[in-house]
Order: sequence, then structure tokens, then C-alpha cells
Amino acid sequence: MIASGPIPVRIHEIEQLSPTLKRFAFEPLHGGPLPTPSAGAHVMVTLRHEGRVMKNSYSLVSPPESRARYEIIVRHVAQSRGGSRFLHQNVARGDVIEIGVPGNLFPLAAKARKHLLIAGGIGITPLLSYVPALKARGARFELHQLCTAEEAPVFEKLLAPHAAGEDIFIHGNGRAAFDLAGILARQPLGTHVYTCGPRALMDAVVSSAAALGWPPGKIHRESFGDASGGLPFKAVLAKSGIEVQVADNQTLLEAMEAQGIAAPCLCRGGACGECKLDVLDGEVEHRDDFLSAEEKASQKFIMPCVSRARTAQVVIDF
Amino acid sequence: MSDQGIKSRPKYAPLELDPAGRHHLLVVEGPALPAEALAEGFEPAACETWTVVNRSALLPVCVVDAQGDSVRPFRSNGHLFSALEERLARETMGLRLYGAGSEPFLWDVFRIAEAAGMSRQEVRLAHAGTKARRVFCVHCRTYGEGVTTSIFTCAGCGASLFVRDHFSRRHAAFMGVQVDAEVPGDVPDAEELYA
Amino acid sequence: MTLQFKPNETFRRDFTYRNSSAAILHFPFPFPEDQYMYSVNIEPHVKGGASPAYDHVFDVDEHYVAECRERALVLAEDPKRCQVLPHMMAAQWDTLELLMESLAADYPEHFSLTKAGDLWTWVNRPLGIHQSFTFGKAETLPCPPFEYITRQAQGDFTLQDQREDNLYVDGGMVTTQADWSLEFDIGMSFHEWHGPVPLAHEKGVFDRALKYLLRLQYGAPVRRLNWTMTINPRLDTSPENYPVWGPDKASVTPENVGQKVHLRVELQTLFRLPRSNAILFGIRCYLASLEEVARVPKWGKRLHRVLRDLHPDIQAYKGLLRFREMAVDYLAPLDDGAELSKGIQSELTQL
Repeated sequence: MIASGPIPVRIHEIEQLSPTLKRFAFEPLHGGPLPTPSAGAHVMVTLRHEGRVMKNSYSLVSPPESRARYEIIVRHVAQSRGGSRFLHQNVARGDVIEIGVPGNLFPLAAKARKHLLIAGGIGITPLLSYVPALKARGARFELHQLCTAEEAPVFEKLLAPHAAGEDIFIHGNGRAAFDLAGILARQPLGTHVYTCGPRALMDAVVSSAAALGWPPGKIHRESFGDASGGLPFKAVLAKSGIEVQVADNQTLLEAMEAQGIAAPCLCRGGACGECKLDVLDGEVEHRDDFLSAEEKASQKFIMPCVSRARTAQVVIDF
Repeated sequence: MSDQGIKSRPKYAPLELDPAGRHHLLVVEGPALPAEALAEGFEPAACETWTVVNRSALLPVCVVDAQGDSVRPFRSNGHLFSALEERLARETMGLRLYGAGSEPFLWDVFRIAEAAGMSRQEVRLAHAGTKARRVFCVHCRTYGEGVTTSIFTCAGCGASLFVRDHFSRRHAAFMGVQVDAEVPGDVPDAEELYA
Repeated sequence: MTLQFKPNETFRRDFTYRNSSAAILHFPFPFPEDQYMYSVNIEPHVKGGASPAYDHVFDVDEHYVAECRERALVLAEDPKRCQVLPHMMAAQWDTLELLMESLAADYPEHFSLTKAGDLWTWVNRPLGIHQSFTFGKAETLPCPPFEYITRQAQGDFTLQDQREDNLYVDGGMVTTQADWSLEFDIGMSFHEWHGPVPLAHEKGVFDRALKYLLRLQYGAPVRRLNWTMTINPRLDTSPENYPVWGPDKASVTPENVGQKVHLRVELQTLFRLPRSNAILFGIRCYLASLEEVARVPKWGKRLHRVLRDLHPDIQAYKGLLRFREMAVDYLAPLDDGAELSKGIQSELTQL
């Protein structure tokens, strides 16, 4: 499957699960199947409102076999700068929004002999896509959902379709009576632990597991990845005098191409070296894997396909 | 004719206990802990240690050996491996496994550990003793044990095999490829390289 | 493009394989410059580009039926040319879905795929296959899903599990390889299975390539070209059968070099798979004799220059030592020393 850009989707259904939790279901605007979603995958949702563009990533809660429709669950966070508040308050059935192709930085480990899943609150979302995938594989798993007493019924209902005969536990007292160390210590060899939720919970799971001798490769915490954008900056192309404005959500290479400049490139991922250009002035924020440490420190080179400027302006010998 | 450019050979270092581990099991191919396989400051007391003492009347229970360390001796490598499988099936997360011995021994240990769900981060291996190689004939899939020369004859298909440096941890063996495949009979002299 | 399959071509014994003029122009000539060195020559695998071989997600050409027959012969002789470790079952289904959907979309005249829920029906007209099965249930197919679909595709495939910041070759269908053994290499990490390649390690090529591939995204596949040379159009140049094909290497003469020596190009494609998060590595193999390659003037001249000036370590690793000079001598009269355009395009619309 070769994706040709973001996917426009129509909001098919909105369900209020609790005062602060809403589940949204999307169907593709132009019909046809959506890309096969991976268990643990997330989508970047682009929302536009009054000239503002908001981009937030949400875990898919729909199972991998669901290609007619994707589902996400969004927590309305009181201090939200926009994305979750907008989704809760300004989005209705039938609205069209844009989502990216699903990416997965929180995949299941293929060689795990058992999967230990520990989540708190809204952190349950990636686990909801894990559980049907694990059952389809016949994999051993144990799930612990920590939450408040008020929300326990909501999560019980979400997990109910999968719960029969499975080790799924909902702890309505949050972390108070949750014996994290005991649960980690008794797991058999070959268990992987996955955690998602408030940062304090994830930090506690990761550090407790490490303290109990779990190796780093078997401890997984949810990540949506580094922001691929950064601060906007200006690149001056010294040979032609052309000034390229690089926005926060595009790379220098993309900005040059958008202005019709045919810059050399090949892999577009910071690995091959084709796009290397000399820097005459300004400070580079290196994000590539091609330049040596010395080359990066010299501030004489930049890989436009991934790197950016730390200063407001950078002058390039091109 | 050589292969010395190959970068896939495992690199071994003297064993150090992993402070992140909760319990530690050391398996040794031989009756005593080989000094060259242990880093300075390695504390045997922190480890449960299994050794191999080739005597059939041995009972595999802990004894205090000549060095004053508490060890559990087994009758052969195979005897140790069979106990290791059973032990790992009952273990919990937090174990670190250490191996000291010849290369085939080390990777046979690793294969058992991997089958039990352990990863490279939980197993440390140190080469001690003979550098003789187990060789896998890629043509007929027969293993040759204790190979010390650069070229040897496969006991399975009779081919003169060049012993490459390309090593498979899964097979715990180096690859043997027919040295005179292009011009049959054109076999260089073997060198004694891996004693 | 209307494909005329040549189902009775052979890749062994009498070697009746030949490229039509259309197939020659379709061939992915691998050298964009007059000299060759290892590099991370990866680019996005988008449809189209410098070679017609890039026009489809998985390329099907006039040799399709014959290659599938040859694969079946290799597997009958040695079933271990297709192995998948037990933890890669999700990746097997990912591969089946990707290949079936891509082939059906790109070549609707040859393949079709219809779905009713998880009941799928796959039709492969060139091979005369009509198969209904339940997606996800291996017992509803005549053999495991990865083997099932790769028996109907040209080129080798490997499955790589991503774990501990590394890639492990944990499965493969390997019958058209340039001298590596799946049985020996299965389970190895990225640097381990690339261990035998000279020079590239010092240049950091594999470190950078691995980092790049660990970030490979679903929906954004990449590709690169690799090359070597083979005597006779033999697809199975496995280490296992080296005693069988090895003698070919010493059979090249100045009289037969143009017909016997083949440029062997691998169009390597890499896809992130959804359910397993594994990487599918496609190794699509193309063969053209020196005589056929030289029918494209730019290619004949450039190949002369590349072989003439090739680094000795690369000559040795690619197994060219016995016949390289004969190949250079064969191509030299065709090279007038003219400046050639950068890039791999043939610069021709017909032969």
C-alpha cells in the first residue's frame, strides 16, 4: 500500500461515554477501505477552525480488521489549547476532517510469551486495539486498568466484549491498592510490559520494572513520536539570493520544493547524504544520521530533508 | 583465501554481573570457573553456578568445590542443558543468565534461553577454552564438530569445505562452503587456525 | 502494457530464458554514474521514476509464469528455501494482503481479489488459480499464507521483525538469491546478515541504513537497486547449490562471454507491515545478458566503465574475478568514451 497523503474522513458517530470521554467513529469520505490499522497505532487528526489549524494524535481503539471505520476516544482536558476541546464541543456527525495514515510507535512485541498491559484513565485507548489482536493470535496477556471509582463502570463496559475468561482487571481505586511491584515480579520469563496513561504512572511502571530486572527491550511506553516540525525559520540561498520561509510543519527541503527549487535529495530521511548543503551562517539543529559528530559540531553543513535552524535565519551555499 | 572482513562474529568480553538483574545464574562448560572468562571483581557468590564434571555417578546437587565456591555439577553439557530448560520454564522476569565455555556451548545455551523467552539483553556470554569451531555444511546441512583448520572435509557429503567467519547464533556454528566448487579438485592447503 | 508470458522459459539445464526488446527496455539498469561504490541509495518507492520497473508496486513481467514454475521446482528440491519463524504469523497475513491487493489493483487483467467480510476470493489467471479462503485462518489455504502468496510472485521476500532497536530476518522465501542462505541466516540481526559484505561496514552504510529502516512508515515504502553478475540466466545461485552452479563460472570464454555473462539486478523494496509492524523486504531479480544490455548504447558503455574501474574488494565479493576482464574486453569496442547522462534511464523509447 502506498499512501498518497492524508485521508479525508466523515464523522459517522459520536458517543458520550462519560462527562469527559467521547468516542468518535470516522468513515472514509470517498469510500473504499481505510489502511489496515496496526494494534497500538495512532492517527494525526487535523482540525481547522477559524483560521487555526490544530493537529493532535490519538490512538485508534478500533481493531485491526476494521477497515470500514476507525474509532478514537478523546478525553476533554480542561486546559486544552484546542484539539480535545474542539472535538468535544465543535464537531458534529457528518463533519469532514482529515487524518493521517496510521503510524505505530507502540507495537506489540512479536516474540513476547506474555503481554502485561498497564494503563491509567485515557491510557486505555491503545490497549483497546491490542486486546482483539492478542486474542486473535491466541497470545497470553494480563490487563490492569487504573481509574477513579466514577470511571470504573465506563472502562468495564469498554472492556466487557473481550473480558470473558481473560485476566482483565479494573482498579477503581487508582494506584492506591495496586501492587505494581508484586505484579511485575511474578511475571514469567519472556513477558513484555506495556504502559500508557498519565506520565507519573508510566514513569512508575518503567522504573519499577527496571528495578526488578526487566531488560529495556521488554518495557514499552506509549509514544506518538517526536514532533516532525519545529520553529519556523528563514533560509537564505546565497547563490541566488532567494529567501525560503520554512513553516513549523514543513522541512527545509519541502519549503524549497514548494518554491519550485529543485534541491538534490534521495532518501528524504536523513540517511543517504544526497541533499547535503554547505552552511555559511546561522546555527543548525541536526536531525539526521548522515553527518559525523565533527561535521555536526562544525555548523558547516545541513541535511535539508530533516534538519532545521536553531537561529531565526540560516544562510546556505546553494 | 580468507573471509576476515566479516563483521558478524560475536565479540566476547569477560563476564561482569549486570547490576540491573534480580537473580543471576552462571553456567560453565567445565568443572571450574575459568579465570579468563570472568572480569576483575566478579563475585561468584552473587551467582548460582552450574558446572560440568564428566562423571556419571554425580548427583546434580550443590557442593562446595575446590575453590570454596558453591556449585551444582552436571554429568555433561547435555545434562546441564536439560536442567536449564526446566529451570527457565519456571523462572520469573529479572533473571540474568551467564555462560562461559567454548563457542558452540555458549550458543547452545543461548538457544535454550531464547526458547524460554530471554533476549540478548538478559544473557551474557564469555568465550573460554578451545577456539575449535562447529561448522555447518551449507550444502548437506551436516555439522562438523571441533574443526581447527581453515578447510576440512564434510563427513556428510564429502565436500572440501572452506570454514567462513560467517557465524549463525541459531546454529551455534560457522558456515562451511565448498572451496573447489568452481574448479573441482582445486583445493588450497588447509591452515591450522582455530585451536 | 500487454504482457506476453513465456511460460516455458527455463533457468537451468538448457537455459532458454531470453529478454524480448520490450523486456530489455523494462530492465532496471543499476548504474546512474560511470563508477560504482556502496551507498545508502534508498529512495521512496513511488509509482514511476527512472525505470519502467518502478511503475507498479510489485513488478510483473513476461517471465512471470516461468519464474513461478522455477520457484516451484526449487521448493520441491529444497522446502527449507521458504521458512517463517513461529512468531511471525501476523506478518504472513500482512504479506498476503499486501501482495494480493497490490497485484489486483495494478494488473486487473491478470489478478482479482474480492472480499465478503473475511471470506476472500483470489484469482490468478496466468497461473490458473481460483482460491477462496478465510483471511486469518491458515487452514483454509493449501499452505501457510506467506508461502502461498510468494509462490505467485517474482523475486525473493524476507520478513524482518523489529525489536530492541534492530531488525531480525525471521522469515523468507528465498529461491532466486545471489548467494546467501536462508537456512543459515534466518534469525540474524541486520549487521549479522550483512556481515559478509566488504567495505560497506567501514563506511557506516549499514549503521545509517538500519536507523533509516527502523523509522520506515506504513504507507511510505522505499526502494533501492543492488547488482551482481551471474553466468547463464540462472535464478537459483544459492550457497546450497554452489557445487552445481559454481563450475559455470569457469566456463566463460571470449566467444561466449556476451551470451553467458548476465547482469543480475535486484530491485529491493521495503514495506512496513501493519498488523505485525514488521518489514517486508522484496528482492525482485532481473537478468539480462551482456549482449542484451549492450543493445542499449548508454548502458553498454557505462557497464564497460563500471566493470573496468571496479574496486578489487567488490570484484571479489561479487564473485566476478574469473570473467570480469573478458566482460570488459567484450564491452570495450562498444565504448566510444562519449559523455553519458547521469541516471539509469535508457534514453530510448524502442529498440
